[in-house]
Amino acid sequence: MVKRVAIVGYAQSHHQYDMQKTREDMVFEVAKEALDNAGISRKDIDTVVTASTDFLDGRTISNVFLSMAVGAYMKDESKVEEDGASAALYALMRILSGSHEIALVEAHTQASTFNPHQVSFYTLDPLFDRQIGLLNSVSAAALQARMYMDANDVSEEHLAMVSVKNLMNAADNPNAHRRMPDLSVEEVLDSKLYYDPIRELTMSPISDGACALVLASEERAREITDFPVWIEGVGTCHDAYLRDRNLLRLDSLRKAAEDAYKMAGITDPFSELDVIEVSERFAHEELMIYEALGLCREGKGKVFIDKWVTQRDGELPVNPSGGALAADPVCATGLIRMVEAAKQIRGEADGHQIPGAYRALAHGQFGICAQKNIVYILGGE
Amino acid sequence: MPYIKDKRPETMLLEGEWNVGAYKYKAPHLLEEFVQGLKEKKLIGSMCIGCGKVIIPPRNICGRCHQRMEGRITVSNWGTVVCFVTSPPVEKGKFQVFGIDPVESGLIQEGSVLIPTFVRFDGADANIVTELCNVDPKDVFIGMRVKAIWAEEPQGQLSDLVGVEPI
Repeated sequence: MVKRVAIVGYAQSHHQYDMQKTREDMVFEVAKEALDNAGISRKDIDTVVTASTDFLDGRTISNVFLSMAVGAYMKDESKVEEDGASAALYALMRILSGSHEIALVEAHTQASTFNPHQVSFYTLDPLFDRQIGLLNSVSAAALQARMYMDANDVSEEHLAMVSVKNLMNAADNPNAHRRMPDLSVEEVLDSKLYYDPIRELTMSPISDGACALVLASEERAREITDFPVWIEGVGTCHDAYLRDRNLLRLDSLRKAAEDAYKMAGITDPFSELDVIEVSERFAHEELMIYEALGLCREGKGKVFIDKWVTQRDGELPVNPSGGALAADPVCATGLIRMVEAAKQIRGEADGHQIPGAYRALAHGQFGICAQKNIVYILGGE
Repeated sequence: MPYIKDKRPETMLLEGEWNVGAYKYKAPHLLEEFVQGLKEKKLIGSMCIGCGKVIIPPRNICGRCHQRMEGRITVSNWGTVVCFVTSPPVEKGKFQVFGIDPVESGLIQEGSVLIPTFVRFDGADANIVTELCNVDPKDVFIGMRVKAIWAEEPQGQLSDLVGVEPI
């Protein structure tokens, strides 16, 4: 990148199932906390980018009533109808354009307002898939999981082990929604079956939550903080619609990761990255993500789980915060991954800190079966 | 030039519904306080400690100061018309107010007009939208002084504030 942009402040809510707060209250708290964390005030922000979807918010043009809460009153503001990580990309571009110096990025979803899985049905092709009515985000993921398991000889135990790893990690993360310190593989396999092999504990919970971060240009970042977290690389890619692509692989993630590695000058991600935070809406997705990120060969994702490589004390920890399986406020999930990665680099991830984390990868996804993917490489000073 | 409709083959159409069911919006504290106030025929607004602005119906965040509006204040039942609009004569089954058809329930006569109005109650810095009643539409003007009309037995719901009428 010609210019450098850093994360200088962040905040996230305590994600939970049924938050007794209005959407505006929840967003206000994280926006305020992120500004406090950066040590700046509303006056210093040049631009605000929020992320949520009208469907999940239950109102169209859902940012009209949010501007007050997020701190965008009488400011340059826009909204991304996607994951918060995409909103961060938008904010990053606005800073790189030179017209803005400091941006506030915010993403939220109150899943208790409306069931996100029900919404997912309306993202399907209205001419065919919706007429038939068999698909939704969970059944599509189950089809993908079965396909992946069959092709790569992955068992249900492998998926359960991913859940156990993430949910046990989440036990030390006070912001996580599903925190299970004593979870066993048997318990996961005994949990409620939705669409075989997707179970309650191998899919992400529906959470209420919000997340905010402050981005600043290099010059301003140095004024604001002694510990900026630099955005070293970013890549995003959008795959074809569910039916027209190879569900066995996350090709768009592979492309996004390659772009991000190239920008950050990474040639061997496995040895050059210290910690990884990914948005795995379903347990099998995490195995597919290992492969798409180029950490291992195609179809060998299960080896990482078998050999404990991605445990918190493993060679390359993945999701020390618990990931999306631990808390999934739909639009905020990707942005939370960025915040968790930044926390690791700053050494502020109290209970789930990876010692000496210097370079991290954060991943966000959107769409059924991870149609769109975005990858960030973050690094310390 | 008159528009001539050509005969064209009809495009295939598929029927689709967008039935997303019911949403549940979180509304702790504020709305509750407001409707409790209505039950006692009081209009309770929220006040920002930073800039002193009073918003009614209450809102919990002041965007100017970017802080919570911690103050609560009861504003006057008297106010001023900020702007208004006169509807065409109402017809049965055409629209609903608070979820009821006002013509069918006998609240207003078929053929009469409604005057949706922005009213700024004395002491408030925001407008509330309500109906202007008991007045000939010709006599309404911006700046007209009005007072609140309350339901005979307030139930603690938004419809307790029936509308406003000229003083």
